[in-house]
Amino acid sequence: MSALWQNIFRLRQNKTDEIDDILLKIPIFQDLRPRDLNIIKRILHTREYKSNENIFNEGDVGLGMYIIVKGKVRIVYSTDCQVLAELGEGDFFGELSLLDESPRSAAAIASSQCVLMCFFKPELLDLLERNPKLGNKLLFKLAWTIGERLKSTNEQLKTLGGSVRQDEINS
Amino acid sequence: MKDKTPSLVRMILFFLAAACAVAFLFLIPEVVKLVVIAALLSYILDPLANLLESRGMSRTKATVTIFLAFVTLLAVAYIFLLPLFLEEMKSLEKGLSPEQAGVAIARLESTLVENLSFVGVKNLDLAGRLQSMMSHTGEWLLSHVVDAASLLTSMILIPFIVFFLMKDGREFKRSFVSIVPNRYFEVALYLLYKLNVQVGNFLRGQFIDAIIVGLLAMFALWIVGIKYFFLIGLFTGLANLIPYFGPLAGAGLAVVLSILQTGGFEMAVYVMLAFTLIKLFDDAFIQPLVVARSVDMNPLSVLLVILIGGKLFGILGMLLSVPIAGFIKVVIHETLAHYQRYRTV
Repeated sequence: MSALWQNIFRLRQNKTDEIDDILLKIPIFQDLRPRDLNIIKRILHTREYKSNENIFNEGDVGLGMYIIVKGKVRIVYSTDCQVLAELGEGDFFGELSLLDESPRSAAAIASSQCVLMCFFKPELLDLLERNPKLGNKLLFKLAWTIGERLKSTNEQLKTLGGSVRQDEINS
Repeated sequence: MKDKTPSLVRMILFFLAAACAVAFLFLIPEVVKLVVIAALLSYILDPLANLLESRGMSRTKATVTIFLAFVTLLAVAYIFLLPLFLEEMKSLEKGLSPEQAGVAIARLESTLVENLSFVGVKNLDLAGRLQSMMSHTGEWLLSHVVDAASLLTSMILIPFIVFFLMKDGREFKRSFVSIVPNRYFEVALYLLYKLNVQVGNFLRGQFIDAIIVGLLAMFALWIVGIKYFFLIGLFTGLANLIPYFGPLAGAGLAVVLSILQTGGFEMAVYVMLAFTLIKLFDDAFIQPLVVARSVDMNPLSVLLVILIGGKLFGILGMLLSVPIAGFIKVVIHETLAHYQRYRTV
């Protein structure tokens, strides 16, 4: 009988550890104490998507970010069906929507059967109100992540600008 | 057509289920009323629980602390304010004894006939009208308030529901959101967020506004010299929860009681002046500060919505009609935008 309980708890422990590992890889949740991580896990929504199911459409009001726990997701421009990126386990997308309610700039579609965890703006605002220390920590990390993305975009633009100039010289 | 049939059937089933749920709620109006009142109270108290949580308390401890503070407050009110309340009630009862009230009304009627005879005012029969009004009020009180059994049930059940809504409100919300299909999940969450902002801010603002206006009315009536300043102030504060109609009801009661107290208009003029000043102060300073401008509606729509709410659901309907109308506006706006997006995609 005790073996049965041990197995059940081990299963649960494994699943929790797996989610902890995924969350700790996300820059926004990095360096969080186990206690804080438990608070975060309690406010995340877990959703399951079938293959080819729309997670959100381009133009939808964005409310927050999605973290891929299992499966693959592709980010697509709806107008020309151009695939911008294919994301896998441990990746995240839509984090800008935590700060504003502007429409989603691209659609997200499940490439395979997926399990996603969702972290939304109402929960972040609620957290800021009742646990300002942890809320501010997340906001700081969010700002850092967006800053990193901006730097990377600048680098890409610089490279693109350089290659355009090279093309002009060549022609 | 073949592809559309399942979704059409699903939609019809959904609407049927929703209609059944609404019909069921209409069959149990007392329970719905209890839950709505409890939800309102938990909305008002929620920021307090959040504040205690931000000081390091767990949600359960924060909720228990608020309840203990509330019980203490009730005990203090019982010890200090109940004697004043009872004294005023007794005094009001005496002041409105048939003989004294009859004299005051006769004096008032003669003053009115004397001064307004040029517009054709001759026989007003104020005493008869007042008596019929009082008897209707008595009937209303008997049917709504004096039902001791339901009052006791409400007094036990409401705090019980408030406690669990405050403690586990987030879990209830998460459970509700978890059953929403993936396609509508984010929209549902967005609408819940908007509902929370609209209704929550409006109710909390109105509640604080009602307390301030009630205290100001008490103070002003005490200065004017009205005997029942505490009772009228309390009524004015509570009535002030309903926009436009509430302040008028409070002022109306104060004017009527001041006329009955003195039998003349002199004090009534001061009372009207005091209420006008309070209303101006409320509109200029209190409302902009405490009532969030989350309900973006013009005054005519607000008036109509309150009238409809009052007609359908009584006082509770009048109180809730404005934030709910604001929420419905957001739902329609978002649904249309959502629909247009799906058409274009």
